[in-house]
Amino acid sequence: MAQSVTVLLVPQLGTEVTEAEITEWLMADGEPVEAGEPVVNISTTKMAMDLEAPASGRLKIVMEEGEIAKVGDTLAEIS
Amino acid sequence: MPKALVIDPAVTRQRDSLAVPPIPVHAYDVPFADALTLHGAETLRDALRHMVLIREFESMLASFKATGAYRGVDYAYRGPAHLSIGQEGAAVGAALALAPEDYTFGSHRSHGEFLAKGLGAIARLPEAELDGIMARQDGGRLREAAETAVAGEGRALAETFLMLGFLAEIFMRATGFNGGMGGSMHAFFPPLGCYPNNAIVGASAGIATGAALRRRLAGEAGICVAHAGDGATGCGPVWEAMNFAAMGQLSTLWEAPFDGGLPVLFFFTNNFYAMGGQTSGETMGWDRLSRIGAGVAPNALHAETVDGTDVLAVADAVARKRALLVDRQGPALLDVECYRISGHSTTDANAYRSRDELKLWEAHDPIARLATSLIDAGALAEDGLAALEEEAGRRIEAVTRAAVDEALSPSVDIVAHPVLIGDLMFSGGETPVPDAPSTLTAPREASAALRKLARKSRAGRDADGAPLSPMRAITLRDGLTEAILDRMERDPRLAAWGEELREWGGAFGVTRGLSDVLPYHRLFNAPISEAAIVATAIGHAMAGGRSMVELMYADFIGRAGDEIFNQLAKWQAMSAGQLKLPVVLRASVGSKYGAQHSQDWSALIAHIPGLKVIYPATPYDAKGLMASALASDDPVVVFESQRLYDRVEQFRHAVPAESYTLPLGVPEVKREGRDVTVLTIGPSLYPALDAARDLAALGVAAEVIDARSLVPFDYAPVLASVARTGHLLVVSEASERGSMAQTLAATVTRHGFASLKAAPIVLGAPNWIVPGAEMETTYFPQAHDIVDAVTAEFYPDRKPNRRGVRDWDGLSLARRGL
Ligand SMILES: Cc1ncc(C[n+]2csc(CCOP(=O)(O)OP(=O)(O)O)c2C)c(N)n1
Ligand SMILES: [Mg+2]
Repeated sequence: MAQSVTVLLVPQLGTEVTEAEITEWLMADGEPVEAGEPVVNISTTKMAMDLEAPASGRLKIVMEEGEIAKVGDTLAEIS
Repeated sequence: MPKALVIDPAVTRQRDSLAVPPIPVHAYDVPFADALTLHGAETLRDALRHMVLIREFESMLASFKATGAYRGVDYAYRGPAHLSIGQEGAAVGAALALAPEDYTFGSHRSHGEFLAKGLGAIARLPEAELDGIMARQDGGRLREAAETAVAGEGRALAETFLMLGFLAEIFMRATGFNGGMGGSMHAFFPPLGCYPNNAIVGASAGIATGAALRRRLAGEAGICVAHAGDGATGCGPVWEAMNFAAMGQLSTLWEAPFDGGLPVLFFFTNNFYAMGGQTSGETMGWDRLSRIGAGVAPNALHAETVDGTDVLAVADAVARKRALLVDRQGPALLDVECYRISGHSTTDANAYRSRDELKLWEAHDPIARLATSLIDAGALAEDGLAALEEEAGRRIEAVTRAAVDEALSPSVDIVAHPVLIGDLMFSGGETPVPDAPSTLTAPREASAALRKLARKSRAGRDADGAPLSPMRAITLRDGLTEAILDRMERDPRLAAWGEELREWGGAFGVTRGLSDVLPYHRLFNAPISEAAIVATAIGHAMAGGRSMVELMYADFIGRAGDEIFNQLAKWQAMSAGQLKLPVVLRASVGSKYGAQHSQDWSALIAHIPGLKVIYPATPYDAKGLMASALASDDPVVVFESQRLYDRVEQFRHAVPAESYTLPLGVPEVKREGRDVTVLTIGPSLYPALDAARDLAALGVAAEVIDARSLVPFDYAPVLASVARTGHLLVVSEASERGSMAQTLAATVTRHGFASLKAAPIVLGAPNWIVPGAEMETTYFPQAHDIVDAVTAEFYPDRKPNRRGVRDWDGLSLARRGL
């Protein structure tokens, strides 16, 4: 049976924000995560926020700390 | 918002009722014989003598005000005399329990508070130390005058020195403790623990709290006493200060040895009246003043009501509160009841109280009370009080003669030195970043936010010259952050507080990441108490610290009006340069939120003598000027535009990663041109540059100068520019009327008139409220407004059609108050 994969996306962060920086991964690549657990901190010039795992499973980091992501980009996959 | 303190609904929603600890009222019940044994007869006779000296001292002032003479000395004393006759027991009782190293901060009715603390310290300090203190004051000049006035040495001489230095100050003489710059309501003398008295009701509360914070951080032993009257319980800033000293984080979040409520005693001399308004029963809601402690903290601030007519009851209470403060259980509150027999001031007609009431209280004179007890106990001769009074009369007369003697106590000679007071406004001193080990609790790399900062491009443009996004390059906000962090890391004397400064990083992120590497006692979230934020910054600096505090929006300056305008701005000069106030007050200038969140008040602050003011507009300038502000020993107000926080550098190749300073007060040419000088304040730089590009297309070469600082201000670069261009336009976002932009234009007109081909123009915000985001461009000067002004007024041949909305008649608006 194919494994189900959930993606963690950069959310819409207000009407004026188009991109955010991955400031810090709170979990390591390959680690198991629980749905609702904070896994990454992202920041814009105005604010910083933690994003939660959208599902439980194993974390696969797609974008590294320091990279700048656009709203809608995939930060990680959880399988 | 510290995550360590979880708000658990299961706990907060439990049924409960609150109990207030009992607040003792007149509980002192120690037999006099026991008090005599505790203190010793000599100490109590001394306390009596101090009260008698204070009363004679104030009677002398009363006599001068009423008759122009005292014991054969004629003198026209012109200043105030808020006398405390009848209240001496409160001040001397407190001093009896205080150590020389404790600090008192006085009220407006402070002669007694000052003399009692000074006399108490003189009684306890070693004579050699007193000699040193006298030798250091004004090169020994005051000591010499005291010796000439009354022959004596040791403690007796120190007492004469204290009274003469104080009276000379009251008479505004150059030899007064504060060089004649303080006077009756503001005198102080730190070597004896007498910190500033304050003519603003309740103002000492916040300043004493800040000093208590500094003493805690510096590991010093003494406590701070904030003197105030009962009327001061109606002052918001007093409540703010009490809460600040008691705030929960001091116990829940701060680490040892910095933890625990602050060592400050709020000492209310409760004489039942403000001037004519009666507190309990008329103007206040409380019945007993001590009750208000219960409104501040669960321990009710250990509040008590004590009998201020009984020196011993006061000394007992202060000693117990002092022990609590030393044990880190502060702050504490005392309601010290007594009665002012004298009028509020010499113009008091006693219209608000009856003769009968006065009579009732005459039976409770603190001096008669202690004298009688001492005589009854055989510790004072029957005529002992009369002898003390006679001696006090002789001594005060001698001190008075010396204080009005031009040879011993010369007047301040402004005529010979017209800028004498001006020279006292700023020390001009700078303390560079100490060459000390890092004080950070973790390496910068441990902070994700600081790692992010370190990854950014130092340059504002990419290899092709295109501007980088604020996500990728150092912004004005980052320049500020770096300067603050550089100083915080190496200077353990610097502490920073303001609303939401820690985890949030300040509402606009300037201190983001700093809480990862700095402990609570160096960087903390302040209560929403703008008055206390500024007042504590002042006290902290007065007591040897360096303070950086933030007001989230400049619009909130009004909430800290007295603290900024009367305290921060004035204490350096009112101390004749003895006090230094290294305080940086940051205030962001808002945008988009309308009238109460978007006002540029830089002109208002620049108007107040005694404050340095900067308004950087580029990342490079922001970093260098902030570093200079933090190095300055003078108070500096830093305006930061929220619209500029995300600006990347576009004038220099890069913003250095290392720390550097830029001189305060030097404007800089940001674009050269020969046809018109456009001098900008703060964010106006950017529309001016846009306008300069448009003007260039019309064949007008604009020179754009960024003021960068408002106070101080070096006019030379502007005058040199106007000498080349012949035209000046000043652009600012502050309302035009009475603004700094008008001052700049007027001064250039005065000194550069010969170069000017036309009258300068000031383009500020109109004299009405800042509208919301949708209308902001009609309010703050825009590029097209600048083009309009230059073309219409200076180069009418170039482009007659206005594009902006500012086609109004200034004179007709002025007639309507606009
Ligand atoms: C902020 C402020 N408001 C008003 C005054 C004018 N004023 C001077 S003393 C005084 C009464 C103060 O009463 P209280 O605090 O009880 O002290 P007391 O004069 O009784 O010693 C007033 C209203 C002032 N100096 N400062
Ligand atoms: Mg009063």
